Amino acid sequence: MKKPIHLLSATELHRAFLEKELSAVEIASHFLKRIEQYNPTLGAFLSVLEPRALKKAQELDQKRKTGQPLGKLAAVPIAIKDNMHIEGELTTCASRFLTNYRAPFSATAIRLLEEADALLLGKTNLDEFAMGSSNENSAFFPVSNPWDLKRTPGGSSGGSAAAVAARLSLIATGSDTGGSIRQPAGFSGVVGFKPTYGRVSRYGLVAFGSSLDQIGPFSTCVEDAALAMEVLGAPCPLDATSLSFPPEPYPLSKTMEPITIGVPFHFLEGLKPEIRKNFDAALDTFRSLGAKIIEVDLDVLRLSIATYYILATAEASTNLARFDGIRFGVRAKEAKTLEEIYVQSRGAGFGREVKKRILLGTYVLSAGYKDAYYKKAQQVRNGIIQAFDTAFEACDALVLPVSPSSAFIRGSIHDPIEMYLQDIFTVPANLAGLPAISVPSGFDPEGLPLGIQIYGPRLADVSVLKYAFAYEQATSHTQVPPLYQGDPA
Amino acid sequence: MPAFTKETLDHLKALSRIECSAEEEKDVLSSLQRVLSYMEQLETFSSETPPSLETFEKNRMRPDFVQPTLPRETFLANAPDQVGGMIRIPPAIKEL
Repeated sequence: MKKPIHLLSATELHRAFLEKELSAVEIASHFLKRIEQYNPTLGAFLSVLEPRALKKAQELDQKRKTGQPLGKLAAVPIAIKDNMHIEGELTTCASRFLTNYRAPFSATAIRLLEEADALLLGKTNLDEFAMGSSNENSAFFPVSNPWDLKRTPGGSSGGSAAAVAARLSLIATGSDTGGSIRQPAGFSGVVGFKPTYGRVSRYGLVAFGSSLDQIGPFSTCVEDAALAMEVLGAPCPLDATSLSFPPEPYPLSKTMEPITIGVPFHFLEGLKPEIRKNFDAALDTFRSLGAKIIEVDLDVLRLSIATYYILATAEASTNLARFDGIRFGVRAKEAKTLEEIYVQSRGAGFGREVKKRILLGTYVLSAGYKDAYYKKAQQVRNGIIQAFDTAFEACDALVLPVSPSSAFIRGSIHDPIEMYLQDIFTVPANLAGLPAISVPSGFDPEGLPLGIQIYGPRLADVSVLKYAFAYEQATSHTQVPPLYQGDPA
Repeated sequence: MPAFTKETLDHLKALSRIECSAEEEKDVLSSLQRVLSYMEQLETFSSETPPSLETFEKNRMRPDFVQPTLPRETFLANAPDQVGGMIRIPPAIKEL
Protein backbone atom coordinates (compact mmCIF):
# COMPACT_ATOMS: atom_id res chain seq x y z
CA MET A 1 0.00 0.00 0.00
CA LYS A 2 1.42 3.35 -1.02
CA LYS A 3 2.36 5.83 1.68
CA PRO A 4 -0.18 8.67 2.04
CA ILE A 5 1.11 11.91 0.52
CA HIS A 6 1.21 13.72 3.87
CA LEU A 7 3.50 11.10 5.41
CA LEU A 8 6.20 11.73 2.81
CA SER A 9 8.96 14.21 3.46
CA ALA A 10 9.08 17.37 1.34
CA THR A 11 12.22 16.04 -0.35
CA GLU A 12 10.43 12.75 -1.21
CA LEU A 13 7.32 14.59 -2.38
CA HIS A 14 9.34 16.91 -4.60
CA ARG A 15 11.07 13.91 -6.16
CA ALA A 16 7.72 12.13 -6.67
CA PHE A 17 6.47 15.22 -8.48
CA LEU A 18 9.57 15.48 -10.69
CA GLU A 19 9.30 11.76 -11.53
CA LYS A 20 5.65 12.24 -12.50
CA GLU A 21 4.29 9.93 -9.77
CA LEU A 22 2.14 12.75 -8.41
CA SER A 23 0.68 15.91 -9.93
CA ALA A 24 0.95 19.27 -8.24
CA VAL A 25 -2.84 19.65 -8.31
CA GLU A 26 -3.18 16.28 -6.56
CA ILE A 27 -0.68 17.40 -3.91
CA ALA A 28 -2.27 20.82 -3.36
CA SER A 29 -5.77 19.35 -3.16
CA HIS A 30 -4.68 16.71 -0.67
CA PHE A 31 -3.26 19.25 1.77
CA LEU A 32 -6.06 21.77 1.27
CA LYS A 33 -8.55 19.00 2.13
CA ARG A 34 -6.59 18.16 5.30
CA ILE A 35 -6.61 21.82 6.30
CA GLU A 36 -10.36 22.03 5.72
CA GLN A 37 -10.93 18.94 7.84
CA TYR A 38 -8.53 19.51 10.71
CA ASN A 39 -8.02 23.26 11.04
CA PRO A 40 -11.31 23.95 12.90
CA THR A 41 -10.05 21.95 15.91
CA LEU A 42 -6.40 22.95 15.64
CA GLY A 43 -6.69 26.64 14.81
CA ALA A 44 -3.36 26.47 12.98
CA PHE A 45 -4.38 28.57 9.96
CA LEU A 46 -5.84 32.09 9.95
CA SER A 47 -6.38 32.10 6.20
CA VAL A 48 -6.15 29.50 3.45
CA LEU A 49 -4.83 30.50 0.02
CA GLU A 50 -6.82 27.91 -1.93
CA PRO A 51 -7.21 29.75 -5.29
CA ARG A 52 -3.57 30.87 -5.24
CA ALA A 53 -2.27 27.39 -4.37
CA LEU A 54 -4.40 25.62 -6.99
CA LYS A 55 -3.44 28.15 -9.67
CA LYS A 56 0.24 27.62 -8.89
CA ALA A 57 -0.27 23.85 -8.89
CA GLN A 58 -1.85 23.99 -12.35
CA GLU A 59 1.05 26.13 -13.61
CA LEU A 60 3.54 23.62 -12.21
CA ASP A 61 1.82 20.67 -13.86
CA GLN A 62 1.91 22.59 -17.14
CA LYS A 63 5.60 23.50 -16.70
CA ARG A 64 6.40 19.86 -16.01
CA LYS A 65 4.40 18.71 -19.01
CA THR A 66 6.24 21.11 -21.35
CA GLY A 67 9.63 20.27 -19.90
CA GLN A 68 10.36 23.71 -18.42
CA PRO A 69 12.83 23.97 -15.53
CA LEU A 70 11.29 23.49 -12.10
CA GLY A 71 12.41 25.10 -8.83
CA LYS A 72 14.02 23.30 -5.88
CA LEU A 73 10.74 23.34 -3.94
CA ALA A 74 8.43 22.54 -6.86
CA ALA A 75 5.10 21.18 -5.57
CA VAL A 76 6.22 21.30 -1.92
CA PRO A 77 3.38 22.57 0.31
CA ILE A 78 4.50 25.40 2.61
CA ALA A 79 2.53 27.33 5.24
CA ILE A 80 3.51 30.92 6.02
CA LYS A 81 3.38 32.58 9.43
CA ASP A 82 0.94 35.46 9.24
CA ASN A 83 3.55 38.12 10.05
CA MET A 84 5.13 37.72 6.61
CA HIS A 85 3.81 39.63 3.63
CA ILE A 86 2.40 37.77 0.63
CA GLU A 87 1.36 40.39 -1.94
CA GLY A 88 -2.40 40.80 -2.15
CA GLU A 89 -3.14 38.54 0.81
CA LEU A 90 -4.16 39.40 4.36
CA THR A 91 -1.28 39.87 6.80
CA THR A 92 -2.90 40.15 10.20
CA CYS A 93 -0.06 39.31 12.62
CA ALA A 94 -2.97 37.78 14.60
CA SER A 95 -3.92 41.32 15.65
CA ARG A 96 -7.25 43.17 15.65
CA PHE A 97 -5.27 46.13 14.38
CA LEU A 98 -4.57 44.42 11.03
CA THR A 99 -7.75 42.43 10.41
CA ASN A 100 -8.23 44.21 7.07
CA TYR A 101 -4.61 44.75 6.01
CA ARG A 102 -3.60 43.30 2.64
CA ALA A 103 0.09 43.08 1.83
CA PRO A 104 1.13 45.63 -0.83
CA PHE A 105 4.28 43.63 -1.55
CA SER A 106 5.79 40.21 -0.90
CA ALA A 107 8.53 39.53 1.61
CA THR A 108 11.86 38.48 0.10
CA ALA A 109 11.47 35.06 1.78
CA ILE A 110 8.10 34.65 0.07
CA ARG A 111 9.45 35.75 -3.30
CA LEU A 112 12.27 33.21 -2.97
CA LEU A 113 9.85 30.40 -2.05
CA GLU A 114 7.54 31.24 -4.96
CA GLU A 115 10.46 31.47 -7.39
CA ALA A 116 11.46 27.99 -6.16
CA ASP A 117 7.92 26.86 -7.15
CA ALA A 118 6.65 26.10 -3.64
CA LEU A 119 2.90 25.77 -3.06
CA LEU A 120 1.92 28.38 -0.47
CA LEU A 121 -1.10 26.91 1.31
CA GLY A 122 -2.07 29.58 3.81
CA LYS A 123 -1.16 31.96 6.63
CA THR A 124 -0.63 30.44 10.02
CA ASN A 125 -1.74 31.65 13.43
CA LEU A 126 0.68 33.19 15.90
CA ASP A 127 0.87 35.08 19.15
CA GLU A 128 -0.05 38.68 18.27
CA PHE A 129 2.91 40.45 16.64
CA ALA A 130 5.00 37.39 17.51
CA MET A 131 4.85 38.21 21.21
CA GLY A 132 4.30 35.06 23.22
CA SER A 133 5.35 31.48 23.93
CA SER A 134 2.05 29.64 23.71
CA ASN A 135 -0.08 31.05 20.85
CA GLU A 136 -2.63 32.06 23.51
CA ASN A 137 -2.17 35.71 22.54
CA SER A 138 -3.73 35.54 19.07
CA ALA A 139 -6.55 38.06 18.77
CA PHE A 140 -8.63 35.55 16.81
CA PHE A 141 -8.36 32.10 18.40
CA PRO A 142 -5.69 30.01 20.09
CA VAL A 143 -3.85 27.10 18.49
CA SER A 144 -4.01 23.58 19.94
CA ASN A 145 -1.17 21.12 20.18
CA PRO A 146 -1.83 18.19 17.81
CA TRP A 147 -0.48 15.82 20.49
CA ASP A 148 -3.03 16.98 23.08
CA LEU A 149 -5.66 19.51 22.07
CA LYS A 150 -5.88 20.90 25.64
CA ARG A 151 -2.25 21.96 25.46
CA THR A 152 -0.48 24.79 23.69
CA PRO A 153 1.77 24.10 20.71
CA GLY A 154 4.18 26.75 22.01
CA GLY A 155 4.70 30.13 20.42
CA SER A 156 4.86 32.52 18.91
CA SER A 157 4.89 30.41 15.71
CA GLY A 158 2.32 27.99 17.18
CA GLY A 159 0.25 27.79 14.02
CA SER A 160 3.23 26.84 11.86
CA ALA A 161 4.38 24.22 14.38
CA ALA A 162 0.91 22.67 14.68
CA ALA A 163 0.39 22.72 10.89
CA VAL A 164 3.56 20.72 10.27
CA ALA A 165 3.05 18.41 13.26
CA ALA A 166 -0.44 17.50 12.02
CA ARG A 167 0.88 17.23 8.47
CA LEU A 168 -1.42 19.95 7.16
CA SER A 169 1.74 21.19 5.44
CA LEU A 170 5.19 19.64 5.15
CA ILE A 171 7.15 22.81 5.69
CA ALA A 172 6.17 26.08 7.37
CA THR A 173 7.96 29.35 7.90
CA GLY A 174 8.28 30.84 11.35
CA SER A 175 10.04 33.81 12.88
CA ASP A 176 12.27 33.45 15.91
CA THR A 177 13.04 36.46 18.12
CA GLY A 178 13.48 34.67 21.46
CA GLY A 179 12.73 31.06 20.54
CA SER A 180 9.52 31.38 18.55
CA ILE A 181 10.52 28.69 16.07
CA ARG A 182 12.50 26.34 18.30
CA GLN A 183 10.23 26.24 21.37
CA PRO A 184 7.02 25.41 19.44
CA ALA A 185 8.99 22.89 17.37
CA GLY A 186 10.01 21.18 20.62
CA PHE A 187 6.48 21.25 22.03
CA SER A 188 4.97 19.90 18.80
CA GLY A 189 7.52 17.22 17.90
CA VAL A 190 8.91 18.72 14.69
CA VAL A 191 12.17 20.24 13.50
CA GLY A 192 12.60 24.01 13.86
CA PHE A 193 15.68 25.96 12.75
CA LYS A 194 16.74 29.53 13.50
CA PRO A 195 19.57 30.59 11.17
CA THR A 196 22.50 32.87 12.01
CA TYR A 197 21.22 36.44 12.33
CA GLY A 198 21.23 37.94 8.86
CA ARG A 199 21.17 34.64 6.95
CA VAL A 200 17.54 35.10 5.89
CA SER A 201 16.24 38.49 4.79
CA ARG A 202 13.81 40.22 7.15
CA TYR A 203 12.36 42.35 4.34
CA GLY A 204 8.61 41.82 4.50
CA LEU A 205 8.67 40.25 7.97
CA VAL A 206 6.70 42.49 10.31
CA ALA A 207 9.40 43.66 12.68
CA PHE A 208 9.27 42.85 16.39
CA GLY A 209 12.89 42.98 17.60
CA SER A 210 15.01 43.99 14.65
CA SER A 211 18.37 42.91 16.13
CA LEU A 212 16.89 39.55 17.18
CA ASP A 213 14.34 38.46 14.52
CA GLN A 214 15.12 35.72 12.01
CA ILE A 215 12.88 33.77 9.64
CA GLY A 216 13.42 30.00 9.60
CA PRO A 217 11.77 26.72 8.60
CA PHE A 218 9.67 24.16 10.43
CA SER A 219 9.80 20.70 8.88
CA THR A 220 9.21 17.03 9.63
CA CYS A 221 12.88 16.17 9.14
CA VAL A 222 16.27 17.90 9.09
CA GLU A 223 16.78 17.20 5.38
CA ASP A 224 13.71 19.29 4.57
CA ALA A 225 14.90 22.15 6.81
CA ALA A 226 18.20 22.15 4.88
CA LEU A 227 16.27 22.18 1.59
CA ALA A 228 14.24 25.18 2.74
CA MET A 229 17.41 26.97 3.88
CA GLU A 230 19.02 26.49 0.45
CA VAL A 231 16.18 28.62 -0.91
CA LEU A 232 15.65 31.08 1.95
CA GLY A 233 19.26 31.88 2.79
CA ALA A 234 20.04 34.30 -0.05
CA PRO A 235 21.51 37.81 0.30
CA CYS A 236 18.95 40.63 -0.01
CA PRO A 237 19.62 44.23 -1.05
CA LEU A 238 16.45 45.36 0.73
CA ASP A 239 17.64 44.24 4.19
CA ALA A 240 20.83 45.98 5.26
CA THR A 241 21.33 43.39 8.01
CA SER A 242 21.23 40.45 5.63
CA LEU A 243 24.53 38.68 4.97
CA SER A 244 26.09 39.73 1.71
CA PHE A 245 27.37 36.30 0.71
CA PRO A 246 25.34 33.25 -0.31
CA PRO A 247 25.23 30.16 1.96
CA GLU A 248 27.48 27.15 1.55
CA PRO A 249 25.79 24.03 0.23
CA TYR A 250 24.11 21.86 2.84
CA PRO A 251 25.52 18.34 2.43
CA LEU A 252 24.00 16.05 5.04
CA SER A 253 25.41 12.68 6.05
CA LYS A 254 24.46 10.07 8.65
CA THR A 255 27.97 9.98 9.99
CA MET A 256 29.46 12.93 11.76
CA GLU A 257 33.14 13.73 12.05
CA PRO A 258 34.28 13.48 15.71
CA ILE A 259 33.39 16.77 17.33
CA THR A 260 33.52 18.30 20.78
CA ILE A 261 30.18 19.26 22.24
CA GLY A 262 29.98 21.77 25.05
CA VAL A 263 27.26 21.51 27.68
CA PRO A 264 26.70 24.19 30.36
CA PHE A 265 25.96 21.61 33.08
CA HIS A 266 26.08 24.17 35.87
CA PHE A 267 23.57 26.39 34.12
CA LEU A 268 21.32 23.33 33.58
CA GLU A 269 21.08 22.41 37.27
CA GLY A 270 17.48 22.28 38.39
CA LEU A 271 16.04 20.72 35.21
CA LYS A 272 12.87 18.69 35.77
CA PRO A 273 13.80 14.97 36.10
CA GLU A 274 12.01 13.89 32.91
CA ILE A 275 13.70 16.66 30.91
CA ARG A 276 17.09 15.78 32.43
CA LYS A 277 16.62 12.10 31.61
CA ASN A 278 15.76 12.88 27.99
CA PHE A 279 18.65 15.33 27.75
CA ASP A 280 21.13 12.79 29.12
CA ALA A 281 19.90 10.20 26.60
CA ALA A 282 20.53 12.70 23.80
CA LEU A 283 24.08 13.26 25.05
CA ASP A 284 24.59 9.47 24.97
CA THR A 285 23.47 9.47 21.34
CA PHE A 286 26.05 12.14 20.52
CA ARG A 287 28.71 10.08 22.32
CA SER A 288 27.75 7.08 20.20
CA LEU A 289 28.29 9.28 17.13
CA GLY A 290 31.86 9.88 18.30
CA ALA A 291 31.38 13.22 20.01
CA LYS A 292 33.33 14.23 23.10
CA ILE A 293 31.23 16.03 25.72
CA ILE A 294 32.84 18.77 27.81
CA GLU A 295 31.53 21.23 30.35
CA VAL A 296 31.49 24.91 29.40
CA ASP A 297 30.88 27.94 31.59
CA LEU A 298 27.79 29.82 30.44
CA ASP A 299 26.53 30.93 33.85
CA VAL A 300 25.98 34.45 32.48
CA LEU A 301 22.97 32.95 30.64
CA ARG A 302 21.05 33.18 33.94
CA LEU A 303 20.64 36.85 33.00
CA SER A 304 19.39 36.08 29.46
CA ILE A 305 15.68 36.47 30.07
CA ALA A 306 16.05 39.79 31.87
CA THR A 307 18.41 41.03 29.14
CA TYR A 308 16.15 39.81 26.35
CA TYR A 309 12.94 41.29 27.71
CA ILE A 310 14.57 44.70 28.06
CA LEU A 311 16.11 44.76 24.58
CA ALA A 312 13.25 43.03 22.71
CA THR A 313 10.55 45.20 24.28
CA ALA A 314 12.61 48.36 23.68
CA GLU A 315 12.92 47.46 20.00
CA ALA A 316 9.27 46.43 19.84
CA SER A 317 8.08 49.74 21.31
CA THR A 318 9.86 51.50 18.44
CA ASN A 319 8.80 49.02 15.75
CA LEU A 320 5.14 49.09 16.76
CA ALA A 321 4.97 52.89 16.72
CA ARG A 322 4.12 52.60 13.01
CA PHE A 323 0.71 51.18 13.93
CA ASP A 324 -0.97 54.54 14.33
CA GLY A 325 -4.27 54.15 12.48
CA ILE A 326 -3.26 56.69 9.84
CA ARG A 327 -2.07 54.88 6.71
CA PHE A 328 -3.30 51.30 7.21
CA GLY A 329 -4.97 49.05 9.75
CA VAL A 330 -8.13 49.56 11.72
CA ARG A 331 -8.70 53.26 12.56
CA ALA A 332 -10.89 54.00 15.57
CA LYS A 333 -14.16 55.36 14.21
CA GLU A 334 -14.98 57.60 17.17
CA ALA A 335 -11.66 59.46 17.00
CA LYS A 336 -12.02 63.18 16.23
CA THR A 337 -8.45 64.45 16.57
CA LEU A 338 -5.11 63.11 15.40
CA GLU A 339 -4.16 62.31 18.97
CA GLU A 340 -7.40 60.38 19.46
CA ILE A 341 -6.74 58.38 16.28
CA TYR A 342 -3.40 57.24 17.68
CA VAL A 343 -4.53 56.51 21.21
CA GLN A 344 -7.90 54.93 20.41
CA SER A 345 -6.74 52.90 17.40
CA ARG A 346 -3.82 51.49 19.36
CA GLY A 347 -5.96 51.01 22.45
CA ALA A 348 -8.54 49.02 20.52
CA GLY A 349 -6.18 47.31 18.09
CA PHE A 350 -3.48 45.92 20.40
CA GLY A 351 -3.99 42.96 22.71
CA ARG A 352 -2.94 43.01 26.34
CA GLU A 353 0.44 41.29 26.01
CA VAL A 354 1.41 43.62 23.15
CA LYS A 355 0.47 46.67 25.25
CA LYS A 356 2.49 45.35 28.20
CA ARG A 357 5.57 44.93 26.04
CA ILE A 358 5.26 48.31 24.36
CA LEU A 359 4.87 50.00 27.74
CA LEU A 360 7.80 48.09 29.21
CA GLY A 361 9.94 48.93 26.20
CA THR A 362 8.97 52.60 26.45
CA TYR A 363 9.96 52.59 30.12
CA VAL A 364 13.41 51.06 29.64
CA LEU A 365 14.19 53.64 26.95
CA SER A 366 12.76 56.64 28.75
CA ALA A 367 14.78 59.49 30.22
CA GLY A 368 16.18 58.63 33.62
CA TYR A 369 15.85 54.87 33.16
CA LYS A 370 17.70 54.22 29.91
CA ASP A 371 21.10 53.76 31.59
CA ALA A 372 19.85 51.47 34.32
CA TYR A 373 17.92 49.22 31.96
CA TYR A 374 18.67 49.52 28.24
CA LYS A 375 22.37 50.38 28.47
CA LYS A 376 22.88 47.74 31.16
CA ALA A 377 21.11 45.10 29.08
CA GLN A 378 23.34 45.95 26.10
CA GLN A 379 26.39 45.40 28.32
CA VAL A 380 25.07 42.04 29.47
CA ARG A 381 24.28 41.15 25.85
CA ASN A 382 27.91 41.77 24.96
CA GLY A 383 28.94 39.68 27.97
CA ILE A 384 26.77 36.83 26.67
CA ILE A 385 28.32 37.13 23.19
CA GLN A 386 31.79 36.99 24.73
CA ALA A 387 30.88 33.94 26.87
CA PHE A 388 29.76 32.10 23.73
CA ASP A 389 32.94 33.11 21.87
CA THR A 390 35.00 31.66 24.73
CA ALA A 391 32.92 28.47 24.85
CA PHE A 392 33.26 27.92 21.10
CA GLU A 393 37.05 28.06 21.39
CA ALA A 394 36.77 24.75 23.22
CA CYS A 395 33.92 23.07 21.33
CA ASP A 396 32.29 22.80 17.90
CA ALA A 397 28.69 22.98 19.11
CA LEU A 398 26.64 23.33 22.25
CA VAL A 399 23.75 21.10 23.22
CA LEU A 400 20.93 22.23 25.49
CA PRO A 401 17.31 21.27 26.08
CA VAL A 402 14.77 23.26 24.07
CA SER A 403 12.41 24.07 26.94
CA PRO A 404 12.26 23.56 30.70
CA SER A 405 9.10 21.44 30.25
CA SER A 406 6.92 19.76 27.67
CA ALA A 407 3.80 21.47 26.28
CA PHE A 408 1.69 22.99 29.05
CA ILE A 409 -2.09 23.18 29.36
CA ARG A 410 -3.73 26.25 27.81
CA GLY A 411 -4.48 28.85 30.46
CA SER A 412 -2.26 27.24 33.08
CA ILE A 413 0.47 29.89 33.22
CA HIS A 414 -0.53 33.26 34.72
CA ASP A 415 2.72 34.63 36.07
CA PRO A 416 4.44 36.65 33.31
CA ILE A 417 7.91 35.63 34.51
CA GLU A 418 6.96 31.93 34.48
CA MET A 419 5.82 32.41 30.86
CA TYR A 420 8.94 34.33 29.90
CA LEU A 421 11.16 31.63 31.44
CA GLN A 422 9.81 29.18 28.84
CA ASP A 423 12.45 30.74 26.58
CA ILE A 424 15.43 30.44 28.95
CA PHE A 425 17.27 27.99 26.67
CA THR A 426 16.31 29.66 23.40
CA VAL A 427 16.81 33.44 23.84
CA PRO A 428 20.61 33.24 24.16
CA ALA A 429 20.85 32.27 20.47
CA ASN A 430 18.94 35.42 19.49
CA LEU A 431 20.98 37.66 21.77
CA ALA A 432 24.21 36.37 20.20
CA GLY A 433 22.92 35.90 16.62
CA LEU A 434 23.80 32.18 16.65
CA PRO A 435 22.28 29.41 14.50
CA ALA A 436 20.28 26.93 16.59
CA ILE A 437 17.99 24.01 15.84
CA SER A 438 15.36 22.05 17.75
CA VAL A 439 15.14 18.35 16.83
CA PRO A 440 12.65 15.83 18.29
CA SER A 441 14.36 13.88 21.07
CA GLY A 442 11.58 11.62 22.31
CA PHE A 443 8.58 11.91 24.59
CA ASP A 444 7.96 12.57 28.27
CA PRO A 445 6.09 10.11 30.53
CA GLU A 446 2.78 11.70 29.45
CA GLY A 447 3.51 11.09 25.79
CA LEU A 448 4.28 14.72 24.96
CA PRO A 449 7.12 15.57 22.57
CA LEU A 450 10.50 16.78 23.80
CA GLY A 451 13.26 18.40 21.78
CA ILE A 452 17.03 18.70 21.91
CA GLN A 453 18.71 21.93 20.86
CA ILE A 454 22.02 22.35 19.06
CA TYR A 455 23.76 25.75 18.95
CA GLY A 456 26.62 26.59 16.61
CA PRO A 457 28.96 29.57 16.33
CA ARG A 458 27.81 32.37 14.03
CA LEU A 459 27.77 31.34 10.35
CA ALA A 460 28.00 27.62 11.26
CA ASP A 461 24.46 26.96 9.96
CA VAL A 462 25.60 24.08 7.76
CA SER A 463 27.42 22.39 10.66
CA VAL A 464 24.40 22.71 12.96
CA LEU A 465 22.21 21.06 10.30
CA LYS A 466 24.81 18.32 9.78
CA TYR A 467 24.99 17.47 13.50
CA ALA A 468 21.19 17.58 13.75
CA PHE A 469 20.85 15.24 10.76
CA ALA A 470 23.29 12.73 12.23
CA TYR A 471 21.42 12.81 15.57
CA GLU A 472 18.05 12.43 13.85
CA GLN A 473 19.19 9.51 11.71
CA ALA A 474 20.59 7.73 14.78
CA THR A 475 17.37 8.11 16.77
CA SER A 476 14.12 8.27 14.67
CA HIS A 477 12.10 10.05 17.38
CA THR A 478 9.85 11.83 14.89
CA GLN A 479 6.29 10.52 14.90
CA VAL A 480 2.96 11.75 13.58
CA PRO A 481 0.30 12.42 16.24
CA PRO A 482 -2.27 9.59 16.13
CA LEU A 483 -5.20 11.91 15.27
CA TYR A 484 -3.48 13.07 12.08
CA GLN A 485 -1.93 9.97 10.58
CA GLY A 486 -4.77 9.03 8.24
CA ASP A 487 -6.59 10.84 5.50
CA PRO A 488 -9.60 12.99 6.43
CA ALA A 489 -12.96 11.20 6.40
CA MET B 1 15.35 50.35 41.13
CA PRO B 2 12.63 53.03 41.52
CA ALA B 3 9.00 52.20 42.28
CA PHE B 4 6.76 51.59 39.29
CA THR B 5 3.47 53.29 40.12
CA LYS B 6 0.20 54.23 38.45
CA GLU B 7 1.74 57.64 37.72
CA THR B 8 4.65 55.93 35.94
CA LEU B 9 2.17 53.87 33.90
CA ASP B 10 0.14 56.97 32.98
CA HIS B 11 3.32 58.68 31.78
CA LEU B 12 4.24 55.65 29.64
CA LYS B 13 0.75 55.42 28.19
CA ALA B 14 1.03 59.06 27.12
CA LEU B 15 4.50 58.51 25.61
CA SER B 16 3.42 55.43 23.66
CA ARG B 17 -0.03 56.75 22.73
CA ILE B 18 -1.86 53.75 24.16
CA GLU B 19 -5.05 53.65 26.20
CA CYS B 20 -6.13 50.79 28.45
CA SER B 21 -9.44 49.79 29.97
CA ALA B 22 -9.61 49.88 33.78
CA GLU B 23 -9.35 46.10 33.93
CA GLU B 24 -6.40 46.00 31.55
CA GLU B 25 -4.67 48.71 33.53
CA LYS B 26 -4.78 46.72 36.78
CA ASP B 27 -3.27 43.67 35.08
CA VAL B 28 -0.69 45.69 33.15
CA LEU B 29 0.46 47.49 36.30
CA SER B 30 0.91 44.34 38.35
CA SER B 31 2.61 42.50 35.46
CA LEU B 32 5.08 45.28 34.84
CA GLN B 33 5.87 45.56 38.55
CA ARG B 34 6.53 41.83 38.62
CA VAL B 35 8.70 41.90 35.50
CA LEU B 36 10.70 44.92 36.63
CA SER B 37 11.48 43.39 39.99
CA TYR B 38 12.75 40.32 38.09
CA MET B 39 14.99 42.64 36.03
CA GLU B 40 16.81 43.77 39.18
CA GLN B 41 19.10 40.74 38.87
CA LEU B 42 20.92 42.61 36.09
CA GLU B 43 22.48 44.74 38.82
CA THR B 44 24.58 41.67 39.69
CA PHE B 45 26.38 41.95 36.34
CA SER B 46 29.34 44.20 36.86
CA SER B 47 32.05 44.46 34.31
CA GLU B 48 33.83 46.84 32.03
CA THR B 49 32.05 45.40 29.00
CA PRO B 50 31.12 48.19 26.58
CA PRO B 51 27.39 48.52 25.85
CA SER B 52 27.50 49.19 22.15
CA LEU B 53 26.70 46.14 20.11
CA GLU B 54 29.22 45.55 17.38
CA THR B 55 27.32 44.87 14.20
CA PHE B 56 28.13 41.60 12.56
CA GLU B 57 28.86 43.10 9.16
CA LYS B 58 29.91 46.60 8.21
CA ASN B 59 26.98 48.63 6.92
CA ARG B 60 26.47 48.06 3.22
CA MET B 61 24.88 50.66 0.99
CA ARG B 62 23.11 49.73 -2.18
CA PRO B 63 23.70 51.73 -5.39
CA ASP B 64 21.75 54.97 -5.41
CA PHE B 65 19.54 55.00 -8.45
CA VAL B 66 15.89 55.84 -8.89
CA GLN B 67 13.50 52.88 -9.07
CA PRO B 68 9.71 52.74 -9.17
CA THR B 69 8.22 52.95 -5.70
CA LEU B 70 4.91 51.59 -4.43
CA PRO B 71 2.15 52.76 -6.81
CA ARG B 72 -0.33 55.18 -5.26
CA GLU B 73 -3.36 52.89 -5.75
CA THR B 74 -1.57 50.01 -4.02
CA PHE B 75 -0.66 52.24 -1.11
CA LEU B 76 -4.17 53.70 -0.80
CA ALA B 77 -5.83 50.27 -0.92
CA ASN B 78 -5.16 49.95 2.79
CA ALA B 79 -5.96 53.54 3.78
CA PRO B 80 -8.71 53.81 6.40
CA ASP B 81 -10.00 57.06 4.88
CA GLN B 82 -9.01 58.73 1.67
CA VAL B 83 -10.01 61.64 -0.55
CA GLY B 84 -8.64 62.80 -3.90
CA GLY B 85 -5.79 60.28 -3.89
CA MET B 86 -4.67 61.28 -0.41
CA ILE B 87 -5.11 59.93 3.11
CA ARG B 88 -7.70 61.91 5.02
CA ILE B 89 -7.02 62.80 8.66
CA PRO B 90 -8.36 65.37 11.15
CA PRO B 91 -6.60 68.76 11.15
CA ALA B 92 -3.03 68.50 12.38
CA ILE B 93 -2.67 72.24 12.80
CA LYS B 94 -5.30 74.12 14.71
CA GLU B 95 -5.33 77.89 15.18
CA LEU B 96 -2.06 79.48 14.12
